[in-house]
Amino acid sequence: MRKLSTLIMALSLSVCFAQNKQILYGFEEVPQNLLLNPGTKVPQKMHFGIPFLSQIHVNGGSSGVTVFDIFGESNVDINTRIRNKIFELKNTDFFTATQQLEIINFGWRANNEMYFSGGIYQELDFISYFPRDLAILAWEGNRDYLDYPFDLGELSATADLLTVYHFGVNKQLGKKLTAGLRLKLYSSMMSIRSTNNQGTFVTTLGGAESNNIYEHTVSNAEVTVNTSGIASLDGMDSADIPGEIIGRAFFGGNFGLGFDLGATYEINRDLTASASILDLGAVFHSKDAETYQATGTYTLDGIELIFPPLSAGQSTLPYYDNLEDEIEEEIPIDTITSGYTQFRPVKMNASVKYSFGKAVGKGVDCDCRNMGGSIERQQAVGLQFYSIFRPKGPQMAGTLFYYRRLWDFLAAKATYTVDSYSYSNVGLGLATDIGKFNFYIAADNLLRYGNLAKAKSVSLQLGFNIKFYEE
Amino acid sequence: MKRNLLRPLVVLFLSLLVVACVKDTDFDQAEDIALTPVVELDLIYFDIDAGEFYDEINEIPVLTVSDTTEIRFLDDTEIQESLRRADFYFKFTNSIPRNFQVDFQFLSEQNDTTYTTQTTVVEGTVAAPIVTIFEEIIEAHEILQLTMANRVVVSVTIPDSNPDLEGNLNLKSKTTYYLEIRDRQ
Repeated sequence: MRKLSTLIMALSLSVCFAQNKQILYGFEEVPQNLLLNPGTKVPQKMHFGIPFLSQIHVNGGSSGVTVFDIFGESNVDINTRIRNKIFELKNTDFFTATQQLEIINFGWRANNEMYFSGGIYQELDFISYFPRDLAILAWEGNRDYLDYPFDLGELSATADLLTVYHFGVNKQLGKKLTAGLRLKLYSSMMSIRSTNNQGTFVTTLGGAESNNIYEHTVSNAEVTVNTSGIASLDGMDSADIPGEIIGRAFFGGNFGLGFDLGATYEINRDLTASASILDLGAVFHSKDAETYQATGTYTLDGIELIFPPLSAGQSTLPYYDNLEDEIEEEIPIDTITSGYTQFRPVKMNASVKYSFGKAVGKGVDCDCRNMGGSIERQQAVGLQFYSIFRPKGPQMAGTLFYYRRLWDFLAAKATYTVDSYSYSNVGLGLATDIGKFNFYIAADNLLRYGNLAKAKSVSLQLGFNIKFYEE
Repeated sequence: MKRNLLRPLVVLFLSLLVVACVKDTDFDQAEDIALTPVVELDLIYFDIDAGEFYDEINEIPVLTVSDTTEIRFLDDTEIQESLRRADFYFKFTNSIPRNFQVDFQFLSEQNDTTYTTQTTVVEGTVAAPIVTIFEEIIEAHEILQLTMANRVVVSVTIPDSNPDLEGNLNLKSKTTYYLEIRDRQ
């Protein structure tokens, strides 16, 4: 019971916070935009993130339900509202939460004009699809659902806690093209995933030949849960667990390898296109990995009494134990301790940007060093596309943005995003450079800040850096 | 001049984040959340041949046969807390030309009888078996007694028997469990 309320609370909390860093993408004033496109244009000569403060990122969302839908003040009973939501939500609706904390971030331009950057960040990534049938079964029971096959395959969730060590290189190749590559080493602290499940559960009225009134049948069940870094925590003193997990953050966990790729192409002076692919890689779970697998088909029809002739004091047959044994035999839950490979959720970004207004910075109308390339202007508008590969297929978002350099020290970017959550997501980001000190903050779903409870997703990034420009 | 404007802008933006709030919500409602599933589940079944009521070796009638099974989930703490009502449904099909008395005795782990119920099954013939339905609704305080049990003893009693008795007594049964699952800390 307690687990249930914790789950509901966790789901509602994750509702408060989305997925996409549409504001930071292409926002050149912020060095962390290199993590969204290793092939972005890098104006600075060098940067250092203030340790632990260079990027704090929380985002979360739920595609079909808000906190307000459930907990809003209303005359309608909360259970009625939950029931209505369960039926309204689809099995493709999902809950997600992502959190990142940058520990170190740095970058510098070497003499060969390559911009090298690297760092360490920690990431928590969670997604769970809404297992609609199981929710209906839990909420309503099976009485009103005779002959309805509840789909066990709707169970689909992943959760990962990992540290990422990364190092990248960025270089302007010719007049129009800037390209970059980032190598990532993943150190997984904990991971749970259960995807590609299948099977059904159905209760049917038995016919004349049936043993009993009903037949409760689990068909072709194949439910797998991969875990790593979890089994060894079992039985550990709860006070020791945080220390153990933090220890894994630094090369103690399971390793993985990945790449980020990106490029920016200046079509002409005013038009720029860019694209990136992030987290093209996998984590190899070998240490402390346990996979639980339940497979089979079984029909339950109750307990058959056979009235054996017994003498006094003799105990009867262990019907219940036999039944449990039979179920375990027909739908065995195997524990497999061999490792498994888990692909990272691949993210894609793409944008096209039109710049206009007064030229700023070094981007004078005739920059002899940059003939044919774009010039930096005070304002820009553009379109962005984002997609992330999730267990049930990609989730996509489209963004319309307006960028404006207000003064040398302050730049702003406003976004309007359409995604799985809503059609009314307005975001704003500000980056200031005061001397060498850089601060940025970006948040979306601003229209919902008046009442976050009504937001289906919120994303927030902020951080502090020190930047050096070429004199 | 330029720098003077920075501060108000940043302050404005930050205050937007700070004043962001969660309004018109009442999280105390979480306490009222209750799942109320109604679960249909098979219980026991049997098929007793008339011959079971006569001991051919000793040539004496066996007037009562009984058997016991555990229903281990019944006295689980969660069921004890959540079960509001249980509807038992027994369907007897009798082709033995005798009435039967059937007793259900629920026992706790300590062997104490916590709940009993009984019914009479109407006689039938091999040519025309008779169906007797017996339903028992258990709720309120009786539920507490039921959920203290984890076993049921089923006794089937025949008034008299002989070696020539033919037919069989068949039982199919199910229970409808009405649950109310809520956070009880």
